[in-house]
Amino acid sequence: MGSLVTIRGLHKAYHMGDETVHALDGVDLDFDRGEYIAILGPSGSGKSTLMHILGFMDQPTSGSIIFEGEEVSSLGADRRAWYRSNRVGFVFQSFNLLPRLTVLENVALPLLYREDSDREANEAAAKHALERVGMSHRLEHRPSQLSGGERQRVAIARAIVGKPSIVFADEPTGNLDVKNVDRILDLLGSLLAEGITVIVVTHDLGVAARARRIISMRAGKVQEDRRQ
Amino acid sequence: MRIFDRLRPAVINGLRELQANKVRSLLSMSGIILGVASLVAMVTVVQGMVGNFRQFVDAMGGIEKIAVDRQALPKEQEHLAELSEGITLRDVDQIRATIPLIRNISPEVRVGWSSVVYEGREAVTLILGCTPDYLPVAKRWIDPGQGRFISDLDILHRTDVVILGSSIAADLFPPNVDPLGKVIRVKGKRFTVVGLLNNIEGAGMQIRSGNSKGGGGMWRWRNSGVFIPVTTATSKFTGNDHLTGLGLRIADANDLQHAVDQVERSLLQMHHGLKDFNISTNEETLESFKKTESAFKLSLGGVAAISLFIGGIGIMNVMLASINERIREIGVRKAVGARGSDLFLQFLAEAAVISVLGGVIGLSVSIGIVWLMNYILTQAIPTQAVATLDWKIMAQGLGFSVIVGLVAGVYPALRAAKLDPIEALRHE
Repeated sequence: MGSLVTIRGLHKAYHMGDETVHALDGVDLDFDRGEYIAILGPSGSGKSTLMHILGFMDQPTSGSIIFEGEEVSSLGADRRAWYRSNRVGFVFQSFNLLPRLTVLENVALPLLYREDSDREANEAAAKHALERVGMSHRLEHRPSQLSGGERQRVAIARAIVGKPSIVFADEPTGNLDVKNVDRILDLLGSLLAEGITVIVVTHDLGVAARARRIISMRAGKVQEDRRQ
Repeated sequence: MRIFDRLRPAVINGLRELQANKVRSLLSMSGIILGVASLVAMVTVVQGMVGNFRQFVDAMGGIEKIAVDRQALPKEQEHLAELSEGITLRDVDQIRATIPLIRNISPEVRVGWSSVVYEGREAVTLILGCTPDYLPVAKRWIDPGQGRFISDLDILHRTDVVILGSSIAADLFPPNVDPLGKVIRVKGKRFTVVGLLNNIEGAGMQIRSGNSKGGGGMWRWRNSGVFIPVTTATSKFTGNDHLTGLGLRIADANDLQHAVDQVERSLLQMHHGLKDFNISTNEETLESFKKTESAFKLSLGGVAAISLFIGGIGIMNVMLASINERIREIGVRKAVGARGSDLFLQFLAEAAVISVLGGVIGLSVSIGIVWLMNYILTQAIPTQAVATLDWKIMAQGLGFSVIVGLVAGVYPALRAAKLDPIEALRHE
């Protein structure tokens, strides 16, 4: 497993009125392929900002990010969109499935925005991803017809449909009951076998305990980086 | 990715949103519907009207026609009345010789209204003495197989030939009898029918069957009348060489004012300064028609433009509301890889879908409006002022609605495209 991401001296500052908030204040990290990482920290620790920047949703104020050998810290908006649709996947606490689309269409959504988008190929890939999460019996359902656990499985299918290098899960079990928590975490853990790096952002120690590496953050800095 | 591949899902998505918010979408469409309907109906009806105007002016001889009529002397010349000879064939020769702007001269003698009879069938009509030039001046002709008009030989020999207007021919002869070669009585005198004048039938106006005596519209008079050689008219009926009028046709409508001035000077000279004639043109009629036309176009076009504008605002309003409701969706789409341009296209397509659908509904409404107006017009006037829908106008109406929809959609779509994905995802 080679190095996937190398982060050096990452800073992110926000201006809130006259105050400048340093959400990230000099972060150095390395992630390998197939790693299972939990980022722990209270709110305001910078863990969400780190996820957004690594997930190509935001840009750092300064610092360097080498992603798959390329410097990506100052990409334009369209280039970042390309990375989002081709290299990363997101799983959210509140699922964020589009209510008007069917399960199949929701899962195929990231492929729609690719250069080589093809309807039949997209559908086939979406079906395959849904099979992978055990949801192929619900293709034509709307998200509102599914239970929370099922919705999160669909969301995971959407995150992996584009064969990403990293899947970010932001409090993936926050809205689930106990029975479904294990299932979802098992599912996330099983992605490692495919060489996908899974980064779970949480403040739930139980969820973090599943990961092989726990990064604790506080006040925009890495407080602890522990492998277990 | 080809543009079509990006548009297709955007359009499908737009239709879906429309279906999900039926009432709201219909309300937002109403402005476009009204705008397109009024635009298409307005253009169609004005065009029908203008067609009628043009035809009317044309039937009066067109813009190139100058009419000279006999007229009583003005007050200050009244004491010279006995010196007035009126308009004569000498004037015709003079104008022909001295005014090259005039292409055709048609001297006319109105013998008056009288009865014409064929084997017991009778019709009352105007008897007009004229020359071969009547045809080009009046913009009339004789259809092939319908005989001939008055010839120069007829003028020279004062022959007893007559040409019938189509409605008179229909009144006088049963359908199975060919009028050509038949002898009829005109004011008691025997004349041979040698030709039938063309039937005037407008696309805008329909003349009803000439057989029904009471029927016929305001254009029926154009198809009535009987025509005899002008020399025959003066020798057989009026007994003097006075003409009732001249019809003049100029080659180029731009020379109209010059020609009128020259004719007036020439006639005054011939008439020893006596103003016993009146010169008139169709220009004023046409001008007033044109004014009416542009007034209609401006006022109705203004109404249509305003309603289309309001329609655009309605679409923009609904798009903004829809985007506000779907901020989270926009965030999700961006998070999974949509570019700003993808979302711009999606929302622009949604606006276009609304406007196209509104435009199509508006077109069907306009069909109803035009039908209704035709119905009312045919009830009000005995002629049928038929305004027909033109696919070009309809295509224009649809085009306008699409343009309005796209313009109205640009700003909301830009807003959607510019949303920050992180902020959008946090939106509750």
